[in-house]
Amino acid sequence: MPDQSIAKALELSATRCRQMDAPLVDRLKAFADDVAALSPEFAAIVERMIGVLRKAGVGEHAPQPGEPMPSFVLPDQDGHLVGLHDFLGKDQVVLSFHRGGWCPYCRINAEALARIEPEVRARRGRVVVITPDVEQFNAELRADTRATFPVLTDLDNAFAMELSLAFKVPEEKRQAMTSAGWDIASSQNSDAWILPIPATFVIGTDGIVKSRFLDPDYRKRMTTEDIVAALE
Amino acid sequence: MHQIRYFLAVGRTLNFTQAADECHVSQPSLSRAIIKLEEELGGDLFRRERGLTHLTDLGRMMQPLLQQTYDTATSAKTLASSYRKGGTAPLRLALSNTVDLRLLIEPLSSLIEGMPGLELKFFRGTAGQVAEQIKGGESELGIAGPLEADWERFKSWTLFHGTFHLLVHKSHRLASQKSIALKDLAGERLLGRPYCEVADRFAALLAANGIEQSSGDMLASDTDALELINANVGVGVMPATTRCGSNLSSIPIEGIDLDFPTLLYSVHGRQHSPAAAGLIQLVRAANWRQIIDSLKSVDAAAA
Repeated sequence: MPDQSIAKALELSATRCRQMDAPLVDRLKAFADDVAALSPEFAAIVERMIGVLRKAGVGEHAPQPGEPMPSFVLPDQDGHLVGLHDFLGKDQVVLSFHRGGWCPYCRINAEALARIEPEVRARRGRVVVITPDVEQFNAELRADTRATFPVLTDLDNAFAMELSLAFKVPEEKRQAMTSAGWDIASSQNSDAWILPIPATFVIGTDGIVKSRFLDPDYRKRMTTEDIVAALE
Repeated sequence: MHQIRYFLAVGRTLNFTQAADECHVSQPSLSRAIIKLEEELGGDLFRRERGLTHLTDLGRMMQPLLQQTYDTATSAKTLASSYRKGGTAPLRLALSNTVDLRLLIEPLSSLIEGMPGLELKFFRGTAGQVAEQIKGGESELGIAGPLEADWERFKSWTLFHGTFHLLVHKSHRLASQKSIALKDLAGERLLGRPYCEVADRFAALLAANGIEQSSGDMLASDTDALELINANVGVGVMPATTRCGSNLSSIPIEGIDLDFPTLLYSVHGRQHSPAAAGLIQLVRAANWRQIIDSLKSVDAAAA
């Protein structure tokens, strides 16, 4: 049974944190603090999961600076195919793996990316967000955050898996998420309950990774300052 | 990804040595990778019993999920290799007679945009014929309602659900009704659509409601049915997304369940062409609600 009171409270907090006029890192922390205060139990489950992911080295084998980003071709929120090839030789790419529009941290992150888009473009860069959600939900995320960048569907988390970013959500976390109203099975149109750890790669026009940020702690994201700096 | 490949190999062969051979790695390497995967998943994937290797419950649960991810990843690499390049193999797609191509225009257009010069090789037939086409390898993919063929090698994904409406000429006595009940069909010239996946189910519904079909018309396509209804010859129970021109009315049918899914079919273990790989991605990810809604508004505007 979804815990309505906590789900509702988390929703309100998420909205508040999204609208905060503060740097990305502060907004993420504010929400994380609210979660811990509203449900220490949930926060403990999160910590346990992050611990397991760290120990298992999830993300360790993702492309490092100096390595090429593997090519991808994925559908955007409007059903058009978008590939790495479309940017090579023309624009740098800020490739950001998000869990999905349902995730409050991802919404805050996506909004921050939308805000820095002009700066990114001024440095010959383009933002591209990838989530395992199907187009309908990626379209909502994009509209909601007023982004103009494409949000791509990574079906079955296949590309995330290739980059060693994907993991299976542990049972206790799955139950906690479902109780809190976060049912990723319907947004991904899959029962697999697999998610990517959030990661951002800044890729040069030659397809080589210039900078990356990833963390099994999904509450942490690459700062907008670091993204812009990496584009120089 | 190699962890998954190794896991799938052991899951298939139930033999670590054989799996290592298949994957061209040493057994210790493979075992180490499996252990890492087990750490991440928080449990054992295999156990040994009387000298034989078995999948644990966790292993059995993860196998289809990881197989799906692996298959999609393989498919995606194929797609990426042909993206924006010419000279790719044609798309061989089998479509059931009940699938309106209007529904697929967006994904097909996106696919063609991404693969310049792509040729389309379509097959049209009943659901049964579509099944045979795919089994025999003449078509790589199929889009149809439920196939009766229970072939274990079929892979399918439900794309969207639809329902049926009654289509009548605008001068028909029922034309201006907001909805009809099944009994309103009594005595009507109901054009038979034996090629439809739901035909038997519908016939059973009519029989159960004591409605005898007043004519034995047997048509061969929805296009033909529409032409006849347009000429005020008969009425048709057809998919709700069917385009009806200004001469026709499309009326919901209350009180019965005529929900039917449209599915994408492919075959386990067969390598996809880049075009097939692309179409699979596009139709599985598509915003079907929006596609169907926009068709409805196009039709409403034209009416």
